[in-house]
Amino acid sequence: MNDSLLWQIRHFVYKHFADTTHPPSVDITAAHFNISSEEASEYYKELHNRHAFFLDLESTTVRMANPFSGIPTDFSVHANGKTYYANCAWDMLGIPAALHTDAVIEAICTESNETVEIQIQNGNLRFTNYDLLVHFPLSFSHWYDDLVFT
Amino acid sequence: MLLFQSEEWIDKWCRRNNLQRGEVLTLQQVWELSKLWYGNRMSLEYHGRSTEQVAEIFKQAGLKSEFWYDQ
Repeated sequence: MNDSLLWQIRHFVYKHFADTTHPPSVDITAAHFNISSEEASEYYKELHNRHAFFLDLESTTVRMANPFSGIPTDFSVHANGKTYYANCAWDMLGIPAALHTDAVIEAICTESNETVEIQIQNGNLRFTNYDLLVHFPLSFSHWYDDLVFT
Repeated sequence: MLLFQSEEWIDKWCRRNNLQRGEVLTLQQVWELSKLWYGNRMSLEYHGRSTEQVAEIFKQAGLKSEFWYDQ
């Protein structure tokens, strides 16, 4: 396995997420790098093992490339004329941080089920509900035990 | 990590799910952490972080409790 290509593939997956709001399939990545789908699949699995992103192993599709989510969630991030989904309350802020852009975030609060709007403008956080809190249930050493729960 | 409107909602969620309470940050704290954590995520040069690098980011974000440094 070529280590340089491995990290180029990681970068391609992230750029594809940023450009299109969804992850590239194994076939798209294989075509981009002129390698077989089987090889691309092996690179995806290696990046999953290194926690570079998180695969649905049955379908070899990217479920999470933090902060981006491959599936709809309670955290919508509108930025650069696109709508992304974030994996969690941290990642909803992670998307404008990663893209270095303004954003309008719509998030559903747990338990109360209220939707709140949060804005990032010129690097500053703006929102009207000043009691908003984020709960981290697990310490860092356990984040990868069950990434969906985390 | 979930978003809540108050400490009371967090306690209710923990009780309902029979889970211990973790660490709670304000949205402003999470934004400061996000900039440090994700600011270089789109770079080709980003290859992940060591435990020591992670601890340094938590320190820079002002996160001081043992929760963040649990090995």
